[in-house]
Amino acid sequence: MNPLARLFGRRARRAAEFEEEMASHLAMDEQVRIARGESPDDARLHAELDFGSTVTVREVTSDMWSGETMHRVVGDFQYAARSLRRVPGFTAVAVLTLALGIGANTAIFSVINGVVLQPLPYPKPEQLVFITTQLPAQHFDEFWMDAGEFLDFRERNTSFSSVGGYRTGDVNVGTDAAPQRVTSAIVTDGFFDAMGVVAASGRTFNTRETLPNGPPVVVLSNELWRTAFGGRPVVGTQVQINRVSRMVVGVMPPGFDVHDQGVKVWLPAVLDPAQRAQQRGGHYLYLIGRLKDGVTLLQARAALEPMLANWIAADGGDPKAPPGPTAIHAPDPKNHRVNYAALQSHMIGSIDRELWILQAAVVVVLLIACVNLANLLLMRAESRHKELALRAALGAGRARLARLFISESVVISASGAAAGVALAFAGLRALVATGSKSIPRAGAITMDTHVFAFTLALGALCGLVFGLAPLLHLASGNLSTALRQAGSRTTALSARNRVRRTLVIAEMALAVTLVTGAGLLLRSFWNLMRVDAGFDRSNLTTFSVELPRLAYNDSTRCVAFFESVIAELDAVAGVRSAAAMSGLPPRREVNKNDAQLEGYAPVAGKDPPANVDYVQYATTTYFETMKIPMVSGRAFERADGPLSPPVLVINETLARVFYPNQDPLGKRIKPNGDTLWYTVIGVAKDVKQGGVDSQAGTELYLLYEQVPRTEGFAPPNMNVVVRSTLDKATLAPTIRRIVSGLDRSLPIVQYRTMDEVFSESVARPRFLAKLLGVFATVALLLSAIGTYGVLAYTVTERTREIGIRAALGATRDGVLMMVMREGLTLAGIGLVIGLCASAALTRVASSLLFGVTPTDPLTFTAVGIFMLLVAAIASIVPARRATTVDPLVALRAD
Amino acid sequence: MLKRAPALTRIELLQGTLDLIILQSLRWGAQHGYGLVQHIRAHTRGVLDVDAGSLYPALHRLERQKAVKAAWELSENRQRVRVYRLTPAGRARLIEERSRFELMTAAISGLFAQPDPAKR
Repeated sequence: MNPLARLFGRRARRAAEFEEEMASHLAMDEQVRIARGESPDDARLHAELDFGSTVTVREVTSDMWSGETMHRVVGDFQYAARSLRRVPGFTAVAVLTLALGIGANTAIFSVINGVVLQPLPYPKPEQLVFITTQLPAQHFDEFWMDAGEFLDFRERNTSFSSVGGYRTGDVNVGTDAAPQRVTSAIVTDGFFDAMGVVAASGRTFNTRETLPNGPPVVVLSNELWRTAFGGRPVVGTQVQINRVSRMVVGVMPPGFDVHDQGVKVWLPAVLDPAQRAQQRGGHYLYLIGRLKDGVTLLQARAALEPMLANWIAADGGDPKAPPGPTAIHAPDPKNHRVNYAALQSHMIGSIDRELWILQAAVVVVLLIACVNLANLLLMRAESRHKELALRAALGAGRARLARLFISESVVISASGAAAGVALAFAGLRALVATGSKSIPRAGAITMDTHVFAFTLALGALCGLVFGLAPLLHLASGNLSTALRQAGSRTTALSARNRVRRTLVIAEMALAVTLVTGAGLLLRSFWNLMRVDAGFDRSNLTTFSVELPRLAYNDSTRCVAFFESVIAELDAVAGVRSAAAMSGLPPRREVNKNDAQLEGYAPVAGKDPPANVDYVQYATTTYFETMKIPMVSGRAFERADGPLSPPVLVINETLARVFYPNQDPLGKRIKPNGDTLWYTVIGVAKDVKQGGVDSQAGTELYLLYEQVPRTEGFAPPNMNVVVRSTLDKATLAPTIRRIVSGLDRSLPIVQYRTMDEVFSESVARPRFLAKLLGVFATVALLLSAIGTYGVLAYTVTERTREIGIRAALGATRDGVLMMVMREGLTLAGIGLVIGLCASAALTRVASSLLFGVTPTDPLTFTAVGIFMLLVAAIASIVPARRATTVDPLVALRAD
Repeated sequence: MLKRAPALTRIELLQGTLDLIILQSLRWGAQHGYGLVQHIRAHTRGVLDVDAGSLYPALHRLERQKAVKAAWELSENRQRVRVYRLTPAGRARLIEERSRFELMTAAISGLFAQPDPAKR
């Protein structure tokens, strides 16, 4: 039995007992009186007179029983619930409004809680540090470390108890069913120690397995083990990874991952500590270190400085030697720093700012909801004037009346919070489903006890905020005048009207700020979508294929494979052309490879270093298929075959950076440290490779068909693009048939239209703009409803006055204008305040804007006009009702 | 009808004094509510008249404070009555309240016993 029911049971028994006690008292008195000679009727009457009112005695006595306070509070709530049930419309609007506000807050807070506030799921996660290197000359703030640096760092640092490196990639896994392409990571010795996680079954790698010629082994993620291997015992069995047979030595616990990469397959990174010198310069590892107990990140950073200063000398080099082929490539305090960042804050990056902006937005929505509710309750309190005055006349003190209001608002806010949690639950699902690609740690988002505590606190706070409004009314209104007013209601309510109007202005101002913010973000998003990425993305479909190195060990076989794919695609009816490239715009990883440019001798510290941001391996048909216009020179042609002289195409930015005021055509370049010179045959229009919101970098295009000869290498992982009038779904079986016809073991991955690739690249700004847009709409609706409600109430209240005006000859238009003017004045004041607040606040979000200033005049003007329009619509309904007031009826009203 | 002292000679009970009176009246044994009313009236020759609206709240308060304990018993007329008796805690409380009451009455009497300086 629950405590409340127990309490009521006990009280009922107690009350029954007391009835019997009183009855026995009266009976005894009666008997004594009869014995004394009174008639039975007199005896009964006198006994009752002597005893006094049983009702009063019962009431004063029951006050003494235990649990009385509790009982009274519960009674208050029951009364409040009953009286709210009598006004279902009011209650439904109030609860729903609040549920919207609280639900949105709960949902967004759940995201913040899971992503930002919850610690990472590793032991002592605060000790984990993400270690990268910084190369200021190349504008790299967080670059990979090379293996030599990792080995040095691991030996020399004094701050970390263990350090490990990793690099993510993709592998083809031979599973029980078809081959699968999954995210993999190669990890160095010490990686799992640093993470502090052991395998759920089996073990992680031992040191021997990370050395050259170690046994081929693999560790699987729990997810892959369950989905691809059905959760059967796999430790000790062989699995095909990129067509290499590897023994499974362990399966990690569920959810184990690094930096939110979704790693399914863990492979040892093979490093030879004895061959350190050969491993310098090839940067590919991110490092994760675990701080020793008691060492802070700050202390570790301080300890790093002397280490950086002595690094090159410790490697046997001369720290003062100029950079060049003979100098030792190792970190130093100036040009090649090492960075530490707390792993968690690095993982969540800048999303916390965006999430807090969203949270602020939903707090604004909730505030508007509270303002509406305060207004509703205030009006309800006013319409209950008679009842309240009567209660006061019957002896209810102010405290008693206050309790009445507070219990009503508590009932409303509790129901609102409960409904809000339900809404949040549904909303959060949709949120995670649409936003999982743009929110880091999306897997950690759930509604836990923190979230419920937050909701509870929020509900209580709301109840307090809008519950206070009618109290204000109580405090200001003299209850005896209220009684008189209740008899003949006049327009002497200006004080309360002032409160109501202030509330309307406040909610308008709040809504304006939110709508402005959403407007700016929507414009930014629109700008992002309109960015010219340098190629025509319509009617383009893309997929990628990774050729396993073992079977395609000869790079000419890679070229032959993709040539066949393109040739077969070209033959398909409806396909205009097809091409393959190594990096898919608009968001691909940078290469940042050194190049030798004929005639370009950079002055250190003044000119940009001879380093190219993007190296694109493309097939002959690339420019034609992507519709990238040539600025000068020519694109690749069939004549540029594998045996003809090496050629390359550069982009406009590269031409501008390295060949200012010169004609780049015919210049020669050695990319990637190649030994051969390539001749520049054309300059292509810039293509956005590093995201549509950033500048195009320097880029050069090598001909895929030529590189096996010129570089002795051809990338085995290529993206194929098909320009076709056929849609994605129609094209799919054809592509699958072509690829599996060439090699049955190859999976097709990343099959998307180019439009999809684009919208994925701007998923996060879209997510933010969409959510903020939804919240702004809700805020707008709520404030419009609020304005409407207050005006409608004012019109009802002024019926008499309007009637007099009409009787005295006011025209319909005059009455209409009078009400409209009031609504628009309130909205106008709110608008001005809101726009001023926006101008101050949007600066916070300026880093999220693209192609629009925080005080964009167009957005501000549009918001202004729009809000006035909304206010006009909200005012017109009550204004029209005011014109229908019949003077005769109005003058007779109450 | 029972003769009552005139209204003016009846004393409005001071808050707290009623507790003392009830505890004192229960000293000689268990009593039901009606019995207590009669007992107090008889032993104060009608000067102190406790009405039900004061007695029962006081009794129930004392019960909640565990100074008295209540039980249903059968009266001499074979009637079910709720009977109150002192608990050890109630006995201790009686001693304490009584000494405080005596201290106060002694103090007030002392005030009245002082010779009037004006008349000397």
